[in-house]
Amino acid sequence: MQNDHEFYVGYLSKAPGGIAVLARRAVIGLGLLTVLVALVLVFAQQRFAASFFEFGNVREFQGIVREWPVPLLVSGSTSKALVAEGKHGASSLVAGMDGLSIALRGTLIHRDGLEMIEVAENSVRVLGEADRNVSAIENLGTHTLVGEIVDSKCYLGVMNPGHTKPHRECAALCIRGGIPPLFVARDAANHSIHLWLMSETGQPVNQQVLDFVAEPMEITGQVSRIGDQMYFNASLAAYKRLP
Amino acid sequence: MSHVYTSVGWNRQKKIYDSTLAVGIAVYLGLFVGIGSVVHPNATIETLLIRGFGTCALLMLHIILSIGPLCRLVPRLLPLLYNRRHFGVMMFLMALAHGAFSLIQFHALGELNPLVSVLVSNCRYDSLRNFPFQPLGLVALLILFLMAATSHDFWLANLTAPIWKRLHMLVYVAYGLIVAHVVLGVLQSETNPLLAVTLGVGMVVVLGLHLLAAWRERALDAPSDATSSADGFVDVCAVEEIKLNCAKIVTLGGERVAVFKYDGKVSALSNVCQHQNGPLGEGRIIDGCVTCPWHGYQYLPDSGASPPPFAEKVPTFNVKIVNGRVLVDPKPNAPGTRVEPAKF
Repeated sequence: MQNDHEFYVGYLSKAPGGIAVLARRAVIGLGLLTVLVALVLVFAQQRFAASFFEFGNVREFQGIVREWPVPLLVSGSTSKALVAEGKHGASSLVAGMDGLSIALRGTLIHRDGLEMIEVAENSVRVLGEADRNVSAIENLGTHTLVGEIVDSKCYLGVMNPGHTKPHRECAALCIRGGIPPLFVARDAANHSIHLWLMSETGQPVNQQVLDFVAEPMEITGQVSRIGDQMYFNASLAAYKRLP
Repeated sequence: MSHVYTSVGWNRQKKIYDSTLAVGIAVYLGLFVGIGSVVHPNATIETLLIRGFGTCALLMLHIILSIGPLCRLVPRLLPLLYNRRHFGVMMFLMALAHGAFSLIQFHALGELNPLVSVLVSNCRYDSLRNFPFQPLGLVALLILFLMAATSHDFWLANLTAPIWKRLHMLVYVAYGLIVAHVVLGVLQSETNPLLAVTLGVGMVVVLGLHLLAAWRERALDAPSDATSSADGFVDVCAVEEIKLNCAKIVTLGGERVAVFKYDGKVSALSNVCQHQNGPLGEGRIIDGCVTCPWHGYQYLPDSGASPPPFAEKVPTFNVKIVNGRVLVDPKPNAPGTRVEPAKF
């Protein structure tokens, strides 16, 4: 097959026989390489978390609004965090409505039992006054937890994966836009606990934590529970980056 | 070769080349996204597309970078090189799709302009582990854009071959940035060793082929032990050493010279094709013209000028034959200068 006299000129209609055969073999080899690489990369990826964003399924929800510590819609013993569309928090959508009974339209986001609603624009309707009493705060003591600060909206399902380094820039932008930061702590058995990250005094820390998102962190602070939500109040001085 | 600019000078080989590429891309994306959505049912389609386009571009870049040295080592693979520019443009389109989807996914609908967000949302330049990997990809994409935008022969002619070539050598900078983008980005999260090994094998293949080709070429540029005559001509070889309608490449005064034998004559001209600096000395005499092995650009052997209406010209060298030995004056003549061939 080898013929030293063969010479390939691309603009001629046919390649010399021996060269054409070799080129065909090379293309077949590259084709097999393409298939192999695609399969390796598909199967070598980590499993994606069971997190869901019911995109396109806009539903009506009713409940009582809690503005603090993070915007929530409480219905019975369960509550759903509220965020706005895009990379924005829902504080402005429910401002001044704490304790009011409302109806809103939105899209459900959920992961590991935590639920969130992406509130559709101009969909919040006040139904009446329901409950101005704040639920009792259950103090669970001071703890040092290891985990990662994530933006709650992406982590709970809008993006998958919605955490760790590749998602860092998006998480910072979401938190900058008012989406509450969530601290995903892991215990020794790798079970995850989700806590809304607040300042020592229970105020939002969105702008203060931008530089810490998506990194392994150790934070010491006060853990508490209000209703079915867990909170983690910590001073920035108690944030420690882990190697 | 063409003396007028058209968007693409289609011919049968180019159509085969591009069709094969399109099928390859479709197969890769189909497998990655199709099987990916079955194996990873929780993955969002956006993630699969971003990863699919990105890895497709990276695989294509490895193949593109390997084609050059591979063809130096096995010239019979030159059909792979013939339309490599289209390969490069298609690779850029894959990288652009990866970048555009990522920009929309990670940076749109926020408080900042998406492009500003890419640059300021992670400022951990003090940490290798947390180093902002997205700006690295953005710079690489800009380089690939420059290369794709100037890939047409119009730019090659107007920028001149040396500048064009230098610009397109930036592909190695882009490759380095992309490897860093992957290592400091997704590989910080996706920790299966197979992924790092796959990238490592690709890097070793690219680097290995380049080193092997350079090692082979080094011999060609080694100082010659040829003797010079009183008039400055250098004895380069015997006439019989040159195959008919082929050339012997010699290095004179640091420049490679292609000494062709044809029709009972010997002519010497620069080894560097004016088109894309292809090795003319590895070409053949076809229809009386020196024909470049890369893209078939042609030059008359005695003048170094392309036959009309083409306008490319390369330097020629004075040549003579004494006692069956070929002697070449290492001083080049201006491109296109006719030199009387030496007859044997």
